[in-house]
Amino acid sequence: MIKKMGGIVCLMILWAGVCTAQVWQAPDQERAKERAKEVVPFVKEYQDDCQISRRICLIDAGVSLDDVETVYFLLDSPIIKEREDHYEPVRFAHKRHAALVNDCSKCHHFRPRDENALETTRCSACHQDSFNPDHPERIGLKAAYHQQCMECHQEEAKGPVDCTGCHLKHVPDHKELVKLPDNPDPIQVTKACLECHDTQGEDMLKTAHWLWRGPSPYTTGHRKDILHGKGTTALNNF
Amino acid sequence: MQITRRHFFRFMGAAGASVAVRPPSAHAWQSKAPPDTFGCLVDLTRCVGCRKCEEACATVNGLPEPERADCQCTIFEKNRRPDETAFTVINRYYTGKVDTFDKPVPTYAKVQCMHCQDPACVSACIVGALTKEDTGAVRYDVSKCIGCRYCMVACPFEIPAYEYFDPITPRVMKCTFCQERISKADGLPGCAAICPTEAITFGRRDTLLKVAKKRLKENPGIYLQHIYGEKEVGGTAWMYISSVPFDTVNLPTLPDTPAPKLSETIQHSLFSYLWSPVLLFGVLGAFMARCNQEDHKENNPDKGGV
Repeated sequence: MIKKMGGIVCLMILWAGVCTAQVWQAPDQERAKERAKEVVPFVKEYQDDCQISRRICLIDAGVSLDDVETVYFLLDSPIIKEREDHYEPVRFAHKRHAALVNDCSKCHHFRPRDENALETTRCSACHQDSFNPDHPERIGLKAAYHQQCMECHQEEAKGPVDCTGCHLKHVPDHKELVKLPDNPDPIQVTKACLECHDTQGEDMLKTAHWLWRGPSPYTTGHRKDILHGKGTTALNNF
Repeated sequence: MQITRRHFFRFMGAAGASVAVRPPSAHAWQSKAPPDTFGCLVDLTRCVGCRKCEEACATVNGLPEPERADCQCTIFEKNRRPDETAFTVINRYYTGKVDTFDKPVPTYAKVQCMHCQDPACVSACIVGALTKEDTGAVRYDVSKCIGCRYCMVACPFEIPAYEYFDPITPRVMKCTFCQERISKADGLPGCAAICPTEAITFGRRDTLLKVAKKRLKENPGIYLQHIYGEKEVGGTAWMYISSVPFDTVNLPTLPDTPAPKLSETIQHSLFSYLWSPVLLFGVLGAFMARCNQEDHKENNPDKGGV
């Protein structure tokens, strides 16, 4: 009897374990999601400082890396999603960026005119909906994110500047879409891909990966004539 | 008197000259641009060539999906134009600008109907199928169009395209400025709504001009001190600012006079009070009368002889 009871208890504990495993959510992810949903009141007036005085202000105020409490933010504001919603939110590693850049004024470039306001206000306080007729020179939140991130990534030659470098697209689960035999060979896999992604397949045939010569966006001057390589001088087993 | 070829041309030349030297009509040409229109400001320094505007345009206007919508590389190998399947396209230009790593910096330029303040196509359209709306959009009404394609010839930007593939109900196709969306409150054109970097700013044209001037003034090292479309062909609803000369990104150098000004002035002064047809037929009538008289004189003695 005791053995049976013990067995049942064990099962219950296991079951509870499974249940909690299913509902367990990463607390920081949940916090980030909650925070992303918040819309803060719009800051109309800002203090028009130059970047150097802004930097000095921030140093004077004693803002340092230790003040960065949140490790990352999800850039998933309803302000943006109201108009268009194509991509998954970007996970912006705030603390990491703060540590790498080591200059808060790069992003926190202005502050609200109200003296009681935080020195480092969040982006969405000043940048909200695009094309606000009352503040025509103020760019919207989406543009603010994109301009700020991409410009800096380009300047520093670090970090992604393409769409999917930061965003994940809404990709359907391919487990349901693709039916492959057990232990498929590469040709079967390629065939399965091409069933839907035929344009990508055709695109591939025009690239340097297939032709061994062609446009190479990352060479100086975008030269098309590659002097050496599999297309010309090197041995080619195809 | 025989009417020789030479005589005929002499008369016609005289008649033509009298038309040409006539002073222009007392009513000077006036712009018919509606006040306080909407517009868009395209900032070429902000465009990253993501081609999302092409995609949004196709979705909003029910057009086929743009050619290789996700491609941001080899698609730019060829220079594309808006056509009957795409109201707007993005092209890439290398204008010799290099970044700090000596890598050539591309400039992306969006092409679409500029929605001129005094559109040449509206002036050229003989049935009024094209109209300049109060929103600023140049709207095309397929039910009035007879397919003469004068608008395509008239457009200084060579924008209107024609559905040549459709023999029964072809349409002239060009950017609609999302007329239906922007006439609603808070409505945005599809391309401006999706643009991730706000390279396309939508708003009232006057406001946009102020914004543009502010940007040019605050960043004189970045921008050329010229707003393309502020004065070109009398002003356009879509305007561009750029860091590279506009002719290098395929925006044609155009005069400041509105395209319809010359043609409409000539037409209106020629046909005001129908004076030119009256003059022409008067001259021809007088000429014929004189010829008849001379014929009469020459023929009479012969008749008397018989």
